[in-house]
Amino acid sequence: MSQKQYWSGPEELNRINSQIEVAGDEFKEELPFDLSDGIFNATTPRRDFLKFLGFSTLAATLVASCEMPVRRAIPYAIKPEDIVPGVPNYYASTFVDGGDYCPIVIKTRDGRPIKIEGNEMSSITMGGTSARVQASVLNLYDKARIRHPYADGNEATFDAIDKMIKEGISGKAGYLVTASLLSPTTKEIITQFLAKYTNMKHIVYDAYSYSGMLLANEASYGKRTLPSYHFDKASTIVSIGADFLGTWIAPIEYAKAYAQGRKISAKNMKLSKHYQVEAMHTITGAAADHRATCKPSEMGSVAVALYNAVTTGAAPSLPSANLNELVKKAAADLKKGNGLVVGSSNDVNIQTVINAINDAIGANGVTVNWTVTSNYKQGVDKDMADMIAAMEAGSVGSVLLHGVNPVYDYLDGKKFAAALAKVPVTVSFADRLDETAQKCKYIVPDHNFLESWGDAEPKPGYYSLMQPGISPLFKTRAIQDSLLIWAGATQSYADFWKDYWMKKLGGQEAFDKALQDGIVEPAGEMANGGAKFAGNISDAIGKVKKGGSAVELVVYQKIAIGTGGAWSNNPWLLEMPDPITRATWDNYVCVSPKRAKDLDAELNGFSEVDSKKRVITIKGSNGYTVNLPVVVVPGMHNDVVAVAVGFGRDAKVGRAAASDATKGGKNAFPFMNFNGLTMEHHSDVTLTKTEEKYDVALTQTHNSYEARPVVHEYTLEEFQKDPNVLLKERGAEIAEFTHDPWIEEGKEAKEPMLDTNSDEAFREHGTMYTNYKYEGVKWGMSIDLNTCTGCGACVIGCMAENNISVVGKEHVLKMHEMHWLRIDRYFSGMPNDPDTIQTVFQPMLCQHCDNAPCENVCPVSATNHSSEGLNQMAYNRCIGTKYCANNCPYKVRHFNWMDWNGADCFDDNLYEDGRRDDVNDDLTRMVLNPDVTVRSRGVMEKCSFCVQRLQDAKLSAKKEGHPLKDGAVRTACQQACPSDAIMFGNVKDKDSKIAKLRKDEQLERTFYVLEHIHTLPSINYLAKIRNTEEINALDENKNEMLKYHI
Amino acid sequence: MHLKYESFIREPLVDGDKTYHQVSEDIISPIERKPGRMWYVGFVFSLILLGYGLFSVTWAVYWGLGTWGVNRTIGWGWDITNFVWWIGIGHAGTLISAILLLFRQGWRTGVNRAAEAMTIFAVMCAGQFPIFHMGRVWDGFWVLPLPNTRGTLWPNFDSPLLWDVFAISTYFTVSLLFWYSGLVPDFALIRDRATTKFRKMAYGLASFGWTGTAKSWQRAEALWLVLAGLSTPLVLSVHTIVSFDFATSVIPGWHTTIFPPYFVAGAVFSGFAMVNTLLVLTRKILHLEEYITTGHLEAMNKIILLTGSIVGVAYITELFIAWYSQSWGEQAAFKWRIMGPYWWSYWAMMTCNVVSPQLFWVKKLRRNVPFTFVMSIVVNIGMWFERFVIIVTSTYRDWIPGSWSYYSPTWPEVGFYLGTFGLFFTCYFLFAKYFPVVAVHEIKFVLKTSGDNYKRSMEKLETQSEDEFIHIATTHHDDDHVLEGAGAHH
Repeated sequence: MSQKQYWSGPEELNRINSQIEVAGDEFKEELPFDLSDGIFNATTPRRDFLKFLGFSTLAATLVASCEMPVRRAIPYAIKPEDIVPGVPNYYASTFVDGGDYCPIVIKTRDGRPIKIEGNEMSSITMGGTSARVQASVLNLYDKARIRHPYADGNEATFDAIDKMIKEGISGKAGYLVTASLLSPTTKEIITQFLAKYTNMKHIVYDAYSYSGMLLANEASYGKRTLPSYHFDKASTIVSIGADFLGTWIAPIEYAKAYAQGRKISAKNMKLSKHYQVEAMHTITGAAADHRATCKPSEMGSVAVALYNAVTTGAAPSLPSANLNELVKKAAADLKKGNGLVVGSSNDVNIQTVINAINDAIGANGVTVNWTVTSNYKQGVDKDMADMIAAMEAGSVGSVLLHGVNPVYDYLDGKKFAAALAKVPVTVSFADRLDETAQKCKYIVPDHNFLESWGDAEPKPGYYSLMQPGISPLFKTRAIQDSLLIWAGATQSYADFWKDYWMKKLGGQEAFDKALQDGIVEPAGEMANGGAKFAGNISDAIGKVKKGGSAVELVVYQKIAIGTGGAWSNNPWLLEMPDPITRATWDNYVCVSPKRAKDLDAELNGFSEVDSKKRVITIKGSNGYTVNLPVVVVPGMHNDVVAVAVGFGRDAKVGRAAASDATKGGKNAFPFMNFNGLTMEHHSDVTLTKTEEKYDVALTQTHNSYEARPVVHEYTLEEFQKDPNVLLKERGAEIAEFTHDPWIEEGKEAKEPMLDTNSDEAFREHGTMYTNYKYEGVKWGMSIDLNTCTGCGACVIGCMAENNISVVGKEHVLKMHEMHWLRIDRYFSGMPNDPDTIQTVFQPMLCQHCDNAPCENVCPVSATNHSSEGLNQMAYNRCIGTKYCANNCPYKVRHFNWMDWNGADCFDDNLYEDGRRDDVNDDLTRMVLNPDVTVRSRGVMEKCSFCVQRLQDAKLSAKKEGHPLKDGAVRTACQQACPSDAIMFGNVKDKDSKIAKLRKDEQLERTFYVLEHIHTLPSINYLAKIRNTEEINALDENKNEMLKYHI
Repeated sequence: MHLKYESFIREPLVDGDKTYHQVSEDIISPIERKPGRMWYVGFVFSLILLGYGLFSVTWAVYWGLGTWGVNRTIGWGWDITNFVWWIGIGHAGTLISAILLLFRQGWRTGVNRAAEAMTIFAVMCAGQFPIFHMGRVWDGFWVLPLPNTRGTLWPNFDSPLLWDVFAISTYFTVSLLFWYSGLVPDFALIRDRATTKFRKMAYGLASFGWTGTAKSWQRAEALWLVLAGLSTPLVLSVHTIVSFDFATSVIPGWHTTIFPPYFVAGAVFSGFAMVNTLLVLTRKILHLEEYITTGHLEAMNKIILLTGSIVGVAYITELFIAWYSQSWGEQAAFKWRIMGPYWWSYWAMMTCNVVSPQLFWVKKLRRNVPFTFVMSIVVNIGMWFERFVIIVTSTYRDWIPGSWSYYSPTWPEVGFYLGTFGLFFTCYFLFAKYFPVVAVHEIKFVLKTSGDNYKRSMEKLETQSEDEFIHIATTHHDDDHVLEGAGAHH
């Protein structure tokens, strides 16, 4: 018996040696320590025992003394069907905020939404997002959200409230006030509700309204609606004040389309021509090829001049020569066809003139689509004024307010509040105790959109469904449910909604597909058609107002927080640097450099680094007065100042939003004017200097790129003339590594130009270290400076994906902000002449250098290079010497200066400043991405190329048994970008888009920032090509910024 | 061995009528007496500063380095400025004790003890900054190449910060040994004079049973020579390596091959100035003017003049190279240093370090004690600014203009700096009270050749004719004979 041998398989039976060896080797992979004979035969292993013991005891003591606080984790008693721990679920849904629209995909982990991505199936936004869409997930976990309904300021049950409201709203005339509504089911429910309560009326109120356009379109085309604009089909774009890439109507849609015309390569030298007339400096102005400034009150004259130039060819006589030139050139280009004119004015007459221009140049049916219109904005200001008059008269019995906050955002909030006090039944559906909700008798909080069923119809026939990513967190109820209940219906909204869509789609299968896709759209390309202009142009021209001589103030929306709402309390957005001013947290007044001199707020080399900015008093024509600090913005019209809305909020809106004399800014809505029909977003003001100073938290102090090879920009003409112009510059930049410094006799001096050989030579000869040969994957990114609009969606996308800490204003002031991705903004031109200002945006993030200066200086190798070309951070190994940050030429490394998020092992040293603290609330922390470490105090961090996504994609490919496919993984910034400016992939894969782009398609526009330092970045940029006559940045005569250090 | 006759034109190194006993008496008696009022005032003040420093550092360690003013662009500010400044100061002691010993400079005897003590204390102060500038100081020991359980994880031997760790710890160890081994005979002297039991025991322990036999002296002399030989390269290497922290980087203004010699010269410059500051105070407070003479101070001032000029040349060379290299990064770095928002720090550095030491060309000023004192402080202010200029005004406007920023220190940073003064002076006051501030045995060594009274007794030799002098020198081999006249005074 004892001799009996069992064998485990034929290889053992037949004694195949290699197999036996494998079987005998317990650890198949090489062990990470040395087990060679040397270590066992060492002369003093026994003696070392005490040394090791002593060291390990000491180390253990040190480690143990740093005890981590106990964190509670509650297991599922019954496992939910769809939730697999560690595996995200995705739900197609829709972001809707008033008329702002974006089809999205919600990423949920363990039942909670943690990230929002654009839905690429939408033909309207095509996967694009905005900063606000990216940040909207944080609003879900906002601590300031109302947790239950209120009646007379006390907690109440829905039943009790329903009873009281049902009684209260019948009888006297009442109003249901909503922001622009995109939801067809909600509209239907409102119809039912109004049918039940015939005394009620529904009006639409938009804080920042487009009434002028709506009314003008009604007069010109018989439709009170907005058309669809096809920026992609326009070869000439003229914008009279419209910030269509940032805040005007539907920037995600427009940015996506606009970018189509801004993509250029040496193989396809076509670029749209973009003319921009504006009063202040917007990102759309920054993208423009030809930009001129005028006062807001002169916009009408510009439109009329353009109309005349287009129709009669009359020479314009506008206040500045540049305006005249712009109008002349624009008219000439528009007449060539495929033109598009848009304008931001809320004046019906000006919009009528713009309609007439579009009609005259044949834009209708080409770039302006009247067949498929847009529902984004529906509010007409006069309705609101009429309602207030009725309220004041005491004839209103009830007001129901949904998605609106007129006490804050109406031009005379006090007047509205006083009128509201006269209404016996006031109901707010607000998600927080905002300025208006506080004044309402009942608050019936609506769900967050991530908790809601719903739908949206941005354009007739184009639908997008909304489904919840999480059960309601609090005792809230969908407004549709409230209206249904009050209307006496027994069906819940969820059922109503399902019935509606089942009927519309015609069956379960189609419904399931629609829910999965999130999109219901007609097949094929969007129908496009024109309409005949039937407006009274001569009347409109006659009524267009002429500009005055006063200084004018523009009331504008910040790209981050828009008109306020819940956004004012979103720390991600408050800390997002404004694309133009690069300021965070507060509002301020934007002033041109020339006017700043008069106000003793001049910007020079010394004051630019001083965060204390001069405070001025601004007095509006209606007597409204505020004190705000001056931020100097080159490119502002000299007689124009600009103040953003969304600030100056009540304390109950949230801790981050709360404002007082020392923080939170001032409300700018009261600077608007009502002209009896529509709201004008500008006002005459007087400015007076005060002796006060106020800290403005700017993340960038220097405005010029100093003609350095950080940015490369060329005119279209230069690029067309010599497509190799950049390659030559790059060749010269690195010539010392690739070319002999002498010229051999008999040989002609050759202009150094970058080619494959010199590129390789540079890589080899620029260092004394051996060049690592990458096998397999090598990650690379490309950023197109032509299509980047600076909108900041990537910045917030990165914050959401990578758990980036918010540091608060005090620490932004100290330049301690943590954004892994920042967008540097550079001006060039003459500061005193706003029309000469050219602006460029440059997203700047870790360049993942192959010869990274940060890596060799770290004393503990906490930052090192992966075999895939990633510059990686081992947070646990970092001891925080900050040497790597010092030695980073791109300054993209961010140190955890304080305990921003409680990940530190010290007790009670969490950083608190009163405004940002809610980000550490247990509720808000639900937004954290569990795939990404929350970094503790004292360690360095930086862009990881979303390494968690790369790993995930590689593992998926491995499981599925195929090589990683191009496009299978995208970084968060890339995915967020509405203009597809960022491309990412494996550069070793010859067929990948990025490899082709670098080697072939965009070879002529590809450059690396500060190439001559020999850092060998993994991120390349594509040079900016401007469809203009000159580039100011490099010319000292045209770029005084170089002289004055501003 | 030692030269027995020293030319009359050489200034005496010890003034007044001194005998061996008198030397012991003058230098050791302050240790045996109760310290004066001034000492108590100074000591308590130092302790308060030290306490404030401890509080500042604790504050920063507890709350995080965000309590400091350094930022994403300027990662090092006052912390590393102070580190380099202190380590620079520490150079004088070793230079005086080691290099001047090898060069047989007799004048070092009066100053070397205090200078070496200063070195030790300055290095202790310097060491605090790289430690507490770490974000996670509790993990700081990871820079040590210790065997560990993390597989084959070692520190990064490419990093200049790691070289710093080795350079500074070696320097500190060798300096400490050198200093202490020199103290042993003097401790024995105190022991032998001791009247209280405790003092006898304490100094007895500290003197390692020194008996003063010829063999002891022979071995001690040999040890000092060996340690001097070891220290000499360290004087050059430590600051060279500190300069590598900057020179090996890619930041314009840091990436400079001139740094090693420039740093060493600057270090000696600031170290000598600090020695002067301390000596002027010590000789006044402890009444040691006869041992630390104006001649000593003048010799120190000469070296300050020399090294100050080297530093000045280095500054000008940097500017020249920035122009000559035609490297835009380099040019811009110096443009922003000189004309940017930090212009004042550059010009403070230039004034204090380049212009003011040139005044020492005037002999009257070199020998003027109050002026020496003021200059010693001016030079150290200048050298502080030099480090500030190098560290902060290189990074604040480096490659990418979009990330440029500005920096001002906050109270915990200033407190940390003040705290190291507290540490330094606490140590120095303890040293002045308990240790012989002048090396007694070395003074005795030079006394009979370079002492004032002995030199005066040589006057008669000066009047002798050459033949007569040679006759005496060749016929009398006994030292005492030659110096008979000197003894006759007593």
